[in-house]
Amino acid sequence: MGRPRAFDEGHVIRAAAELFAAHGYEGTSIDDLVNGLGVHRGSLYKVFGSKRGLYVSALRTHVEEQVGPLAAALAASGDLAQALASAAASYDSGPAAGLLLLAAVERAPHDPEIAELVADAFQALDQALADFAPPELAPALTATVLGARIRKHPVPVAHLARYIRPTGD
Amino acid sequence: MARITVENTTLVVTVEGLDKLWALKSRLEIPLVNVRGATHDPGIIRERKGVRAPGTHLPGVITAGTWHHEGERIFWDVRIPAKAIVIELADERYTRLVVEVDDPRAVVTLIEQATTR
Repeated sequence: MGRPRAFDEGHVIRAAAELFAAHGYEGTSIDDLVNGLGVHRGSLYKVFGSKRGLYVSALRTHVEEQVGPLAAALAASGDLAQALASAAASYDSGPAAGLLLLAAVERAPHDPEIAELVADAFQALDQALADFAPPELAPALTATVLGARIRKHPVPVAHLARYIRPTGD
Repeated sequence: MARITVENTTLVVTVEGLDKLWALKSRLEIPLVNVRGATHDPGIIRERKGVRAPGTHLPGVITAGTWHHEGERIFWDVRIPAKAIVIELADERYTRLVVEVDDPRAVVTLIEQATTR
């Protein structure tokens, strides 16, 4: 105890997020993390407690730095078509693109804390889209955006807007 | 090899068979609040282990007992590296435990469920 940490925690967490996004939780070993992050094994355990501890930090940081700002930026969209196009192009993107969707499939069913992080990130998109469409439709629009991310085919999602009346009409 | 159970609010590590002779310890009890996490880590066997005191080290055969490394005290009981898990502790005599268990995935899940509830 008492020895200073010889690494930048934020940098390590972001780099870990990229490894987890590339290889999944199960597919990323401690050897992968130690080699990829350039951090001593003992320091990794001392700071994060476990692989899970590092993963939770990585997912939380990815959500805060990628998902939160995108949801806020969507508010500046001109209409639903533009909001859907932006969301389908950029939700869960960034250096660790796909980490949120991977977490939803791989870890959320087994880990309540991760399930809660994922649910909050999905709800942030619900709320952003509810500015442009009837709120009861927002979860369905979020589901469509997530599907477009999985299919890597963002453009058609915006066409949905033609069939949905804007909020307040 | 070690058997790991949760008894109420305590994690119990029981060193099994002859390993308790080599490790010079047969049972550790850790309050769950002092357990920071558990990780399956087959690669840790290749780490520098530091100075053994007391215990047994036959490289490639068994690493058992108490080791001191960079100010940390680490308890080892590993013969088969593929089955090694790391249990990180806080406010305990040991900084971490590196022990072999029969089913690493199940034990990690057990510890995570007991500590993140």
